[in-house]
Amino acid sequence: MSIFEYNGSALIAMVGKNCFAIASDRRLGVQLQTVATDFKRINQVHDRLFIGLSGLATDAQTLYQRLMFRHKLYQLREERDMKPETFASLVSAILYEKRFGPYFCQPVIAGLSDEDRPFICTMDSIGAKELAKDFVVAGTASESLYGACEAMFKPDMEAEELFEIVSQALLSSVDRDCLSGWGGHVFVVTPTEVKERILKGRMD
Amino acid sequence: MKLDTSGLESAAPLVGASSGFLDGFADAPSFEVPTTNDFDGFQKEAIQMVKPAKGTTTLAFIFKDGVMVAADSRASMGGYISSQSVKKIIEINPYMLGTMAGGAADCQFWHRNLGIKVCRLHELANKRRISVTGASKLLANILYSYRGMGLSVGTMIAGWDETGPGLYYVDSEGGRLKGMRFSVGSGSPYAYGVLDDGYRYDMSVEEAAELARRAIYHATFRDGASGGVASVYHVGPNGWKKLSGDDVGELHYHYYPVVEGAVEQEMVEVAAA
Amino acid sequence: MESIFGLVGDGFAVVAADTSAVHSILVHKSNEDKIMVLDSHKLVAASGEPGDRVQFTEYIQKNVALYQFRNGIPLTTAAAANFTRGELATALRKNPYMVNILMAGFDKEAGASLYYIDYIASLHKVEKGAFGYGSYFALSLMDRHYHSGMSVEEAIDLVDKCIIEIRSRLVVAPPNFVIKIVDKDGAREYAWRESIRDASVAAA
Repeated sequence: MSIFEYNGSALIAMVGKNCFAIASDRRLGVQLQTVATDFKRINQVHDRLFIGLSGLATDAQTLYQRLMFRHKLYQLREERDMKPETFASLVSAILYEKRFGPYFCQPVIAGLSDEDRPFICTMDSIGAKELAKDFVVAGTASESLYGACEAMFKPDMEAEELFEIVSQALLSSVDRDCLSGWGGHVFVVTPTEVKERILKGRMD
Repeated sequence: MKLDTSGLESAAPLVGASSGFLDGFADAPSFEVPTTNDFDGFQKEAIQMVKPAKGTTTLAFIFKDGVMVAADSRASMGGYISSQSVKKIIEINPYMLGTMAGGAADCQFWHRNLGIKVCRLHELANKRRISVTGASKLLANILYSYRGMGLSVGTMIAGWDETGPGLYYVDSEGGRLKGMRFSVGSGSPYAYGVLDDGYRYDMSVEEAAELARRAIYHATFRDGASGGVASVYHVGPNGWKKLSGDDVGELHYHYYPVVEGAVEQEMVEVAAA
Repeated sequence: MESIFGLVGDGFAVVAADTSAVHSILVHKSNEDKIMVLDSHKLVAASGEPGDRVQFTEYIQKNVALYQFRNGIPLTTAAAANFTRGELATALRKNPYMVNILMAGFDKEAGASLYYIDYIASLHKVEKGAFGYGSYFALSLMDRHYHSGMSVEEAIDLVDKCIIEIRSRLVVAPPNFVIKIVDKDGAREYAWRESIRDASVAAA
């Protein structure tokens, strides 16, 4: 079994009209054993920027701590928040630092720019950025997620519809994956507010 | 080279070639073995090809009113869930059930084989139903004759015969155990935890069914490879009856209802950083 | 085989561990205490390679003590757990410690808590957790009988259920267990559950 599949995860970020949604499952497992069903894979960097880290849980935690540290330094020095694009470059740089002993994580970054333009991107474990205009997925359920998103995505969705689509895509995909699921965690971010919701899901 | 499975015939000798004119009629199926120089290599490849779905939770136990049999319904290939509606409790005949863990094809084939070629023929020949002991022994003999060839079966044979309730565990390594309580599959340790603790011989049918359902549910919660539907069967003096088939997705919220005002279903405004 | 598990009750946390020191087919000792009293209100139950287990838990204990000497205030359980995770994570890519840890503690503000930290340094706050082969039996039993706000009697009952199940179902079941508890009055040994008595119990 691949080390990326050790803990199990499912991540998705999708773009709407001047808004975006980022969602994850809630399982922390050790291979097939479910250890907890309230694990957090998505973290808020600032008001309108989020990062989700799929893959190995320990590296997700380490990476998150390092990224928050770097972002806080940036805030102190620059007296402003990072732009999503800048943050993506920071993540990429930090990942490539460990080119020959990588963090076993595939990050998903989603943010709103100052002009309310949504930005989503993912990258591999050594920092190769992959920008997308519609949606990005990661984790052990990524294959199912690609299918679900490909079928369900519509351009320029409003926040409520976006939430519905992202939740349906997430829940139906993790139902086809042994290693992810056990509930969902969704953030929908519009220029004015951040809505966080916990999804009920199958607990098997 | 042909494999001999005459052990299926209850009256025939265990080992020996089939007698020619009866070929392909009353005797059990035998399979061609490939002509190859590297049999081990071929076998390894073949096993990979029909990679058995290992993730399962099945259980069965004897109590005062018969045998309770329960199983989940998930089939997985690696991390992928290929089905959530597999029938893992196989109805061998109206008085006997088999459970399925390991290779789906192997279990299905040999249970059906046991039902029509062994149990039914025994009934016709002897005018009485085969005992659970006898049926499980014949299955064990067949599986033993294929030992080391990649069959993957972990099964429980549960039924009611002239001696009362019967329960046997049979596997493809040739093992056969008589017992009061078994659980098989990747989720079995979890199921055993709940089962051992809640088991009493003098349970009612309702209590026993609930215990079986609970044990399966807790196994599906912790074991990633188990899930789907928790089916519960009861075998009594008048044969088996399916008591329930509950979707564990719903069962969880039945056992643990979402508490009003808890985080679930609630919208939380995230405070600005 | 090694089994440790624990749960959080109403104002206390309890952890239990087997007490066998095993080397291949040999049982060297059946009264080895694998639960360290980290400081006045913290317990660390550890399983893993014997050398690593002792070295690492002592290292954590001394550093937590050092922090208290320097700053005059003890670390919270959360802080100690995060410190432990940090040390494990740093070691992970140099020479990993093979230790799985359940850290239980009691703080005035946060109350009783239990942290799950595995050898690759995944950290998670849990209500009930377990490591080792015994975890399969202990987890489902705890799922079955756990409820929030358990009393000490209920919790010990549950721990005993788990011990009985491990003893009866595990191939190489350890004969003896130690149970420790932490609440507002501090961390302390609660009881031993011995089915064979080691000659050196008194000396230990």
